[in-house]
Amino acid sequence: MAYEKGFCVNGTERQPRIIDEVEAASWVQNGMTLAVGSPAPMALLRHLIRRGVKDLTVIDSGLSLDLLIAAGCVRKVVSYYAGGGFGVPVAPSFRRAVERGEIEVWECEEGILTTGLQAAAQALPFLPWRGGVGTSLPEVNPDLKVFLDPLNGETLLAVPPLKPDVTLLHAAAADAYGNVQHLGGPGWIDLFLYRAADRTVVQVERVIANEEIRANPWATTIAGADAIVRAPYGSLSLSQLSVYFRLCLPSLSLSQLSVYL
Amino acid sequence: MPNDYSLQELMAIVLARDLKDGEVLRVGVAMPVVEAAVRLAHLRHGPNMELIFLGARMNVAHLYSLPMPAFGWDRRVVRWAESYSDTGHRFERLKDWHNHVFFIGGVQVDPYGNTNLIGVGPDYHQLRFRGPGSVGTPTLSTHVGRYYIVLNSHTPRIFVERCDYISSYGWGTGGADARRRVGLPGGGPKYCVTPLCVMDFADDTKRLRLHSLHAGVSEAEVRAQTGFALQTSTPIATTEPPSAEELHTLRTRVDPTGFLRR
Repeated sequence: MAYEKGFCVNGTERQPRIIDEVEAASWVQNGMTLAVGSPAPMALLRHLIRRGVKDLTVIDSGLSLDLLIAAGCVRKVVSYYAGGGFGVPVAPSFRRAVERGEIEVWECEEGILTTGLQAAAQALPFLPWRGGVGTSLPEVNPDLKVFLDPLNGETLLAVPPLKPDVTLLHAAAADAYGNVQHLGGPGWIDLFLYRAADRTVVQVERVIANEEIRANPWATTIAGADAIVRAPYGSLSLSQLSVYFRLCLPSLSLSQLSVYL
Repeated sequence: MPNDYSLQELMAIVLARDLKDGEVLRVGVAMPVVEAAVRLAHLRHGPNMELIFLGARMNVAHLYSLPMPAFGWDRRVVRWAESYSDTGHRFERLKDWHNHVFFIGGVQVDPYGNTNLIGVGPDYHQLRFRGPGSVGTPTLSTHVGRYYIVLNSHTPRIFVERCDYISSYGWGTGGADARRRVGLPGGGPKYCVTPLCVMDFADDTKRLRLHSLHAGVSEAEVRAQTGFALQTSTPIATTEPPSAEELHTLRTRVDPTGFLRR
């Protein structure tokens, strides 16, 4: 007996999770912890800024972080790097706001950050990490505790869970039910941010049919996004163009790409 | 021609000479001298090296040239990658990093090669200068087999008796067992390369020591530009200038547009 199209259970159907930018932005309330993926979900961030959200604790780096600070949305930054690479050693709004004491910094580094996100994802009170032992990080960030491991007595850092209330990401494609398929790589840190967060919104270049997802289930990188926002070209303008086309729009042919490059 | 080289070219060549075939070279962001050094070593004498630019891992020994990046994740460079890894997954095989090499900068460096990317000022909550943050340097400097401190300028503001904050532990408070004492598995910093000189770390104290002066630089000048007493090895060597072949390879195969000559 084959299921037919539109088969219902007790008269209800599987709920689609597609919302628009305005509704997605309303998920983020004043004072929440917000994590921002990379490539940056600029379409969603623009709506956050438009709403004038305040006092956020933000897990982000680079230029999207600087934009949120410049717009006055941020009270605290969980920061491992706030620079813009060549020619921009320190992101200007971050530097100004910290030096004036307008925002707080939860000082960390890449390994500590992903360890804290992992602890949150696995509902652990902390996870150990070695990078940062001997440095000033536990002094300037009292949430990081130096401890002796109970098995061998090695000195390590205990990293507490870092749990975003909302994670905002950008990816290539998703179906209506929150099955996301990044293409060309799962972003810089997106999967850690998704696993740790209470709720995740993913804006995508294309919304595709559930059948397309089923055709290649191994390609599904996020199995349960809470909401999908359709946002073609939605990571412009902060994603470098050449990277953008590689990671986000690989379905375009080279000759189509050459129009943009 | 060998008399006519830029300091950045010299620094790149000095670093390249010290890199060995088969090593894994990890390059962070915004260090043109290092970008050139790993390319030069790979193309001249390192066909089995692996170059990792921000998680893009490649071997391009078959290429005549690999472009210098104009920005962090430059497509012209990362298109050659054999694999990518993201921020967290990069750290999944730290146990095998003995032959990995890293390069680090800093807004402050102390006599024991501890470095600071956090900021400058006695009160952390009122920094005079806020730095970019540690990126991944605490973890990298903890685990790599050795690393190099590479600086674009050599001033008393950078070379200080005490870093206001330490983001990467080099040789701590000194002594050959400085890293073992706190349980850091990696080999620590080997050289500090600046536009004036090359410094190494004395075997017993692990304090910075003048290793060689670049041509035309006096010992007095280095001392005046260093905010702490610098040991010297006697006699002080002159940094071996680039050979004609090194410069030719650098300028034709690594940096044809003169990134390091600007």
